[in-house]
Amino acid sequence: MSFIPGQPVTAVVQRIEIRKLRQGEHLILGFSIGGGIDQDPGQNPFSEDKSDKGIYVTRVTPGGPAEVAGLMMGDKVMQVNGWDMTMVTHDQARKRLTKKNEDVVRLLVTRKSLEQAVRHSMM
Amino acid sequence: MDRYADMEDKLRILEDLNMMYIRQIALSLQDSDIQKKIDHEIRMRDGACKLLAACTQRDQALEASKSLLTCNTRIMAYMSELQRMKEAQVMQRVARRSSEAGPTDDRRPCKGKVAISDLRIPLMWKDTEYFKNKGELHRCAVFCLLQMGGEIHDTDMVMVDRTLTDICFDNTIVFNEASPGFDLRVELYSCSSEEDYSAGSTPRKLASKLSSSLGRSAGKKLRAAVDPGAGNRQTRWPALLVGGPKYHLLAHTSLSLAHVQDNFRTHDLITSEECTYWVPLYGSVCCRLAAQPDCMNQQMMSGCLKVKQLGGDPQSSTNVYGVLKGTNLSCYHRQEDIESNVEPAFTIAINKETRIRASEKDPDSNVQSISISNLYGGEEVTHTVSADSRQETHRWMEAFWQHFYDMSQWKQCCDDLMKIDLPSPRKAALVTSKQGSLYHEMVIDTAGDIGTVTDILTRRMQELELRSQLGTSPPWMSLFAESPGRQRSPRLAGHSPRTPRRLPRSPLSPSRCPRPSLLSSDASLTSDSDSPCSTSPCSRHGGLAEPLSLPSSRFRPRTLSLDAKLSTLRGRGYGGALQCSCQPPTSSLTPIPAQRVSQATLSCSSSTSSNSSSEGRRSPESLDSSPFSRPSSARRSLRSMRAKLDPRNWLQSQV
Repeated sequence: MSFIPGQPVTAVVQRIEIRKLRQGEHLILGFSIGGGIDQDPGQNPFSEDKSDKGIYVTRVTPGGPAEVAGLMMGDKVMQVNGWDMTMVTHDQARKRLTKKNEDVVRLLVTRKSLEQAVRHSMM
Repeated sequence: MDRYADMEDKLRILEDLNMMYIRQIALSLQDSDIQKKIDHEIRMRDGACKLLAACTQRDQALEASKSLLTCNTRIMAYMSELQRMKEAQVMQRVARRSSEAGPTDDRRPCKGKVAISDLRIPLMWKDTEYFKNKGELHRCAVFCLLQMGGEIHDTDMVMVDRTLTDICFDNTIVFNEASPGFDLRVELYSCSSEEDYSAGSTPRKLASKLSSSLGRSAGKKLRAAVDPGAGNRQTRWPALLVGGPKYHLLAHTSLSLAHVQDNFRTHDLITSEECTYWVPLYGSVCCRLAAQPDCMNQQMMSGCLKVKQLGGDPQSSTNVYGVLKGTNLSCYHRQEDIESNVEPAFTIAINKETRIRASEKDPDSNVQSISISNLYGGEEVTHTVSADSRQETHRWMEAFWQHFYDMSQWKQCCDDLMKIDLPSPRKAALVTSKQGSLYHEMVIDTAGDIGTVTDILTRRMQELELRSQLGTSPPWMSLFAESPGRQRSPRLAGHSPRTPRRLPRSPLSPSRCPRPSLLSSDASLTSDSDSPCSTSPCSRHGGLAEPLSLPSSRFRPRTLSLDAKLSTLRGRGYGGALQCSCQPPTSSLTPIPAQRVSQATLSCSSSTSSNSSSEGRRSPESLDSSPFSRPSSARRSLRSMRAKLDPRNWLQSQV
């Protein structure tokens, strides 16, 4: 999942639609993210390529909206509601997921197993 | 000279005649539906005109002008629909007279719902404009008009200035009676927010008196407005006589079935050239266009059936109640099961790969049956379905043919049911009127260890008029904080006018932080507030940290205390590699659920204003400043701040 600067990024993605859960006056999704272009990519335990500065899912709250929607730990988030997440800072990523006026977020995520599944199915 | 007054009169008469004409046609067609709609729009239009003439505030005028444009467009649409209907009526009469064959029995595809949402139009400012923030802030009011057939909807109005990176329209717009060949026209209208509207808003008598002494440019403008001109939308006949701000078409595009996808897509925009109302568009619009054909979410056919599976026991046929909906024929044991939400006994897929044909009459019952074949993972499975009577069988066949036709017309919309979210009414309360770009909305910690940040956050929570667009610099910006050269003492008491909510700060006591680098934080505090603030918008912005530009003359609002904080922490060189791990949210969470550090509170060492909303956790009354609390928690929040800024950490945020 590394990228070559200047070249388009291609990945096998899965669409995940998460409905935010309202807790009091807050909307939560039930997962944690790590990464960002302002973060040190070497510390990302989930990335294959240690120079990947993308946003990764580091934890999924059991039973939360994200788990229900099929999000898994270690997924790399490529897009949120049409906004790109491959070249954002950590805070920008957090903001895009936590907009108050959105009840639903539609993510495009990629994971290693997806690529493998596609490869196997083509064989 | 009276020629302007004359012209006005003539136009008014034409207007009235047109209105009468429309009403006449509507009446003659005896279509009370359209008549009512037209009357309604005309009334709305009159109201908007009156409001426009009466209002004094620019915002009101812009809103009224937008409603006016929408009303006009709707009236035009109804007019053309009326004309079409009239024509159709006439054609029908002609056809009957010439005794041609009756209308052919065309199969018509089912209608559906089309929804467009999350419209986003990226802007492309020149970097000199955007970053250096030079010159006056030109603002434009923009909104989108979405038209499909006779249905016209408008989005909310958004003010655009060069601090915005994208124009976002949060509305979700649903068109209910769309056919698969729909053409959704998206038009972006803009209006410069600083234009001089004097030409139109002066009362008539005065205008006629002034007309003789009109200057060249004003006269040209007036003449241009009155002259029907090149058929551009702006000079539509009903709008001519109304003053106030005028919207112009900035860009447009047409979307159709091919653009529908259960995903976000980018489409190209056709833009107009540079002029007063121009905004630098990147050239595309991103949106989510979803469609729900009726065949996917409504029952197309239902009735009692006998189902037999080929290859199974030839004698066993099950009596079921079948419902054709979407891509399935669901067979329930009893009809009542549908209401009681019981799962169907079994489901037969009806999709593009299904083959249906009528088979020969069953010798026993003398009724034709229908066989449905599907490929399930390489294996062909056939079900034989028979109804009670010949008419029933015929109806089922008809339903299947119609269903296949619908699926062929709606194409990709029939693969799966696309979700259309209708915005909940509650959302309206939460959405603020002003928009900022994401770049401006960054905060590092909502935990409130920095009083100003929490201050701002609380304000945001309350959605005060004085909406602060506080931003913090990304963590690496602290590397560029200015050198500890300035030795001004931190006296900030007098600088409230810019940020009225901030109280005089207690100066950083050197005793607490003995390191020399602290002075730089002091300096950053003071220098910021002391630097000249020339333009008014700054007073309303909380702070956008830009330490680099401080020495320059241009004042850029910033997080004073936050910057101090950054320098402070760096100075101390705290090496904790804390990861702000996610704690379960406590009772009342902060509005921006960033780092949920459980014990986050005010930091006493921060020299910021005392704001009681320590974690942003308290409710409205926390707006008034109350003194700092809990010095012990300061250390923890400090730790969390440091953890955030330490590049050795790999931050995680709970969302």
